[in-house]
Order: sequence, then structure tokens, then C-alpha cells
Amino acid sequence: MNKRKILIILENKPGALARVVGLFHQRGYNIASLHVDAVEDVSQYSWLENNLSINLKPNEVSEMTISTTVSDTLLTQILRQINKLIDVLYAEEKI
Amino acid sequence: MQALHEESVDLIFGYPGGAALHVYDAVFRQDKIEHILVRHEQGATHAADGYARSTGKPGVVLVTSGPGATNAVTGIATAFMDSIPMVVLSCQVASHLIGTDAFQETDMIGISRPIVKHSFSIENPNEIPRVIKEAFHIATTGRQGPVVIDIPKDMTAPDKKFNYDYPSEVDIRSYKPPVAPSDKQVQRAVDAILASEKPVLYAGGGAISSNASSELIELNKILRAPVTNTLMGLGVYPASDPYFLGMLGMHGTYQANMAMHNADLIIAIGARFDDRITNTPSLFAPNAKIIHLDIDYSSVSKIIEANIALFGEVKNSLNKIISKLNDGSNNHNPEKFIPWLNKIAEWKALHGLNHDLYLDQTDNNMILPQQVVQHVYQETEGNAFVTSDVGQHQMFAAQYYHFDEPRKWINSGSMGTMGFGLPAAMGVKLAHPKEEVVCITGEGSIQMCIQELSTCLQYNLPIKIININNEALGMVKQWQDMNYGGRHSESTYQNSLPNFVELARSFGHEGIKIEKNSDLKEGLRKAFSLKDKLVFVDIYVDPSEHVYPMLVAPNGSLKDIWLGKDKKA
Ligand SMILES: Cc1ncc(C[n+]2csc(CCOP(=O)(O)OP(=O)(O)O)c2C)c(N)n1
Ligand SMILES: [Mg+2]
Repeated sequence: MNKRKILIILENKPGALARVVGLFHQRGYNIASLHVDAVEDVSQYSWLENNLSINLKPNEVSEMTISTTVSDTLLTQILRQINKLIDVLYAEEKI
Repeated sequence: MQALHEESVDLIFGYPGGAALHVYDAVFRQDKIEHILVRHEQGATHAADGYARSTGKPGVVLVTSGPGATNAVTGIATAFMDSIPMVVLSCQVASHLIGTDAFQETDMIGISRPIVKHSFSIENPNEIPRVIKEAFHIATTGRQGPVVIDIPKDMTAPDKKFNYDYPSEVDIRSYKPPVAPSDKQVQRAVDAILASEKPVLYAGGGAISSNASSELIELNKILRAPVTNTLMGLGVYPASDPYFLGMLGMHGTYQANMAMHNADLIIAIGARFDDRITNTPSLFAPNAKIIHLDIDYSSVSKIIEANIALFGEVKNSLNKIISKLNDGSNNHNPEKFIPWLNKIAEWKALHGLNHDLYLDQTDNNMILPQQVVQHVYQETEGNAFVTSDVGQHQMFAAQYYHFDEPRKWINSGSMGTMGFGLPAAMGVKLAHPKEEVVCITGEGSIQMCIQELSTCLQYNLPIKIININNEALGMVKQWQDMNYGGRHSESTYQNSLPNFVELARSFGHEGIKIEKNSDLKEGLRKAFSLKDKLVFVDIYVDPSEHVYPMLVAPNGSLKDIWLGKDKKA
């Protein structure tokens, strides 16, 4: 069991945050801390734009950081579950 | 309604109410889509679900706000747990009333969040076409599932005119389900198959969702390996094929569970190692490598670690494996599996399901439930669509009705929702009016959505209801017999059951009661001869009968099996 940080980029839409938080609760994962902000300066995410062949506009997506204490296998499972949410563009461990 | 028509919707199931009045007026003023008025919103969702499972097309539901929406919840959860495509339009109070505890206001988006694949709230009427397009796209692609669209009343007001423009394509940038696995992964899978001596193909509901039945059959024409199906997968591989082992898991056959336990390679095809399948995960198939074909990343290595994962449509993954096996570079010799198949045949001979035991008894003994299913199988020549409820009767149906085609066995596998069978049968019958549709149920389950008998009269749905009446919540009672010293806490009804024959007649249908072995065959024959009638066949069976085989739980493996009341393998 280790303390991990997860970075999530998701659509800045009503209800999107609740889906991520709800998922942690439903699946029995704990949240130690959570931070979320709309992304004003999208230039820092040009790598994501390239990966997905998309163009981001200011405040169109939110950046969320969640820290949680989990094992390696559970972390993989959590990331896959988060990525499965329709509004999520990207979720990875933040190192 | 126009948007639904563009999605080729021909049927919707629903129930009106205040917040839905504008939409219902639109239903009235069109003739392209037929609306089926159910008697309870749970029935609407199960009927749409039965329609979807039997056709592969999404089921569509329309309900009003508040109680209409909450009544639909059980059916949405049932579809979600079995990954069934469905779109639920739930009407909502007008936008300006949201958050004020208005009459019939419920936060449906909040309530349904954990049991939908996705949901939408309409904020502007001109979004409706795009949202409907996206909802159908999400419901029917990737790992399928229900999508809820919450529509405030003012969004559908006739004075809200907008330029209707139906999008021809959808592109949701944050939603890209995998299509097919890489060649490298496919080669790894093929290498593992060629190296194996004791493989099992284990196929589930995902293989049905992906319409991969013919690919699976084709693959096994090459491999000639044993195949087992989950409860959700029955029919995807023909039950009458000699390589078929029967269902596996909690009430699976001895040979299927033993084959899984002793395998050196398990090829999971749209199946997810659910707890009814694995028994104790740490004791599951100790010597097996796992190849896992699935469209859902999160289903792989969730319970059982996969050695080789093939992400994508199961159909595509199977096709890629078949091409590799056929391209000349990989030589498979099916003969090497013969010792393994012989071993499995020994297990089957030792403790396989004993079909002869239950057939054609003409004495006056009590009827056995297994016997009922076998007679139904014979009367319908194995060709019927069979829906089921939840309990012992469901397991007997799964064990003794042999499905040779996918989408013919319709049951609530993961949720285990009592009340599913009758409304699901309505959805199936509406989709396949010329086919025989049988609902194998129990006297407990049938009472949970019995009101739909009225819907069946309104739309003339001649379903055959086979009520396996053991005068008890049999499956509960079985667990109480096995684990609670036979204390039958609240699992019997103290002679309070209705007269089902009279009940069916009062709904305008036919009813037949059968109590003796010697009347079984004749009674069923009569029921099936009444082609244009819904017939409720109430069959009293031996209430002491248990479902076997049954895995020993908790802490058992797949080789720890109860074969009878005092008999363990
Ligand atoms: C809605 C719902 N409530 C409770 C259960 C738990 N449960 C599972 S099987 C069962 C008994 C079902 O009785 P019946 O329909 O008569 O079938 P039998 O087992 O007797 O064949 C119950 C209560 C359930 N699956 N669904
Ligand atoms: Mg019963």
C-alpha cells in the first residue's frame, strides 16, 4: 500500500466531477485529498491534444488531482474504471 | 420522437405522467413508433431489456419524473449489470423548478448515476437531437449499457421551436472504445493455444453482445477444444455440440467446473470471472494461463490476472485468432487434445446431469422441477425464446433447456432481479411475434410484476408462462436448508398463494393447473396448442427439491461441489 496521486483530465461539464467522486465511493476506494480546477491555460496540455487529435479551448476541460492509498493492482483497476467514464479524457498516476 | 425515428426505433415502452405530457402528445401525433403502455415502469425497463437482449437493438423507455423515474430504477440496474443497451428518457419537472422540491421532482441523474453507463440532462431544446444521437451511440458501442436522458418539461414545450438538425455522425472525443487487438497480442495468444494440452474456451455474455457466435463456432472447428458458457452466455456456443460442457459456475455441470479447475489454459471470451464463476478467486484454476478477450479494459485482471489480454470487439479478436491459425504459419493439431477430452468425458459419465432420471414418469408421484423444464424443451423442440426469473426454477431452466442459438435465453444474470421474466417476455414477443416465447418462473417471482398480465391482453401477447410452483422462495429455502439448520425464516407463505388459474382468467387469459406427474405432458401439450392465448401453467412441484450441482462456498474452489443433499464430489 502506497500513497498515490492520480491526475485526471475531464470535460468541464455539469455532473462530471460527481461521476468521478461517486466512482470512488461505489467501488470502495478512499480519497485522501482532491483538487479540481478548470484549465485556463490549455497550452500545457498540447501533448494530450496531440495524443487524441483534438483542440482544447480555455476552461473547456478540468484538471483533477486525487490522492489515495492503494496497492499497485488496485491502482491499475482504479485508473481503468476512471478512464471508462465517458467524460474523462485522461487518467494516469502522477509521478 | 423524430430523433428516435432517425435511430430506427420502432417500439418504446412507457408510462405517462405530468412532466411527460408534452412528449406524450408528440407520441399521439405520430405513427412511426409504436408505444407500449405497461402497468408499472419496472415492467417498461424489463420489457425494453427483453427486446434488446433478443434483438441486439437498444431498448427504449419513456417515463415521467419522480415516481415514474424511480420505478424504472430496478430495470435500469438490471440492464446495467448485464451490459444491455437501453436508452431511458426520464422526464423531469421544468428547469425553473429544479432544486425546489417541486411536485414529483427527483434527482434522477443522481439516483441513476451508479447504474448507468452515462447520463445526460437537457439544458436547451436544440441539444435534443445531438444528445439522443450520443445516447444511442454510447448505449450500443463498447461495453453496452443503459443511458438515461433527463428532460425537464419546458425543454419539450411545443412553443420551444428550434431548427431541427439530426447529426449524421457522432464523435465523442473522450469516448473511444477499443476495436481490435494488436497482431502481436494475437500471436501471443495463438502461441499459448498451440502450447496448451488442456485448454477450455469459456464464453460469456460479451460474446453475445458482440454477435460473435459464428466466430466462436468457427474457431472451435479448428481447435476442437472443450467449451463452456456462463449463465449469460448460454446459446453462444450450441448446447448440442459434442464439445460443449454445459454451463459452469455455482450451479454449473461437474465436467465444466472440473475442466476449468484442471485446465492449463483458459480462453475467456467476453466473460468477466464473476464470483459465481470463480468461487474463491485464490483457489481458481491453479495451473491455468489466462487469455482474456474483452472490450472493457476494467474487466481484465480485475478478479483473475490475465496473462494475455486481447482488447477489442470480441468478434474482431476471434477473427484475428482464426486468421492466424489459418495462415499456414501456425500448425494446430487437434488430436493432442484427445486425452484431455477423454478425461472430461470420464467426469461427465461420473457425475454429469442425469437427464433420464426426470423424463416421462407417468406415475402419480410429485412432479420434479427438472422434469418440467425437460418437457417444455421437448414441447417447444428447443426452439423457444425462454425468459426466466430468479431462483431454483431459473437454474433448472439453465441446466435443462438446451440453447443452440444466442439471444434465446433471456435472464437477469448479474442483478438476479425477481420480476424480470414476464415483462422481458413481452419485449421478446413484441420483437418476435411469430416465435414461441416461454417464461419459466416461480410463484414468488411472478408476483413481482404480475400486473403486466394486463399489458399482455392489451397488445395480445400469447406468451406461455410456466410457473414452477414449489410454494416457497425455493432458492432462499435451499440455502436455509444447507447453511442455517433448515430454519425456513420467511421463505414460505402459509397457504396464502393466489389461485393462479383464476387470476390469469380474470386478466382475460387462459390458466391450467397441473399437480400430478401423469398430467404433466398432456397439460403442457394443451398449453402450447393454444397458439393465440397467453396461458398461465401453474405446476405444483416437489418443494423439497434442491438445485445441484452446487459449488461449496465460502472458501471452496471449482472442484468442491455438492452433488446432492449428502453427497460431495
Ligand atoms: C427482487 C428480489 N428480491 C429478493 C431476491 C432474493 N431471492 C433470490 S431467489 C429468491 C426466491 C425466488 O422464489 P421463486 O420465484 O418462487 O423461485 P424458486 O426459487 O422457488 O424457484 C429470492 C427471494 C431477488 N433475487 N430479487
Ligand atoms: Mg418458488
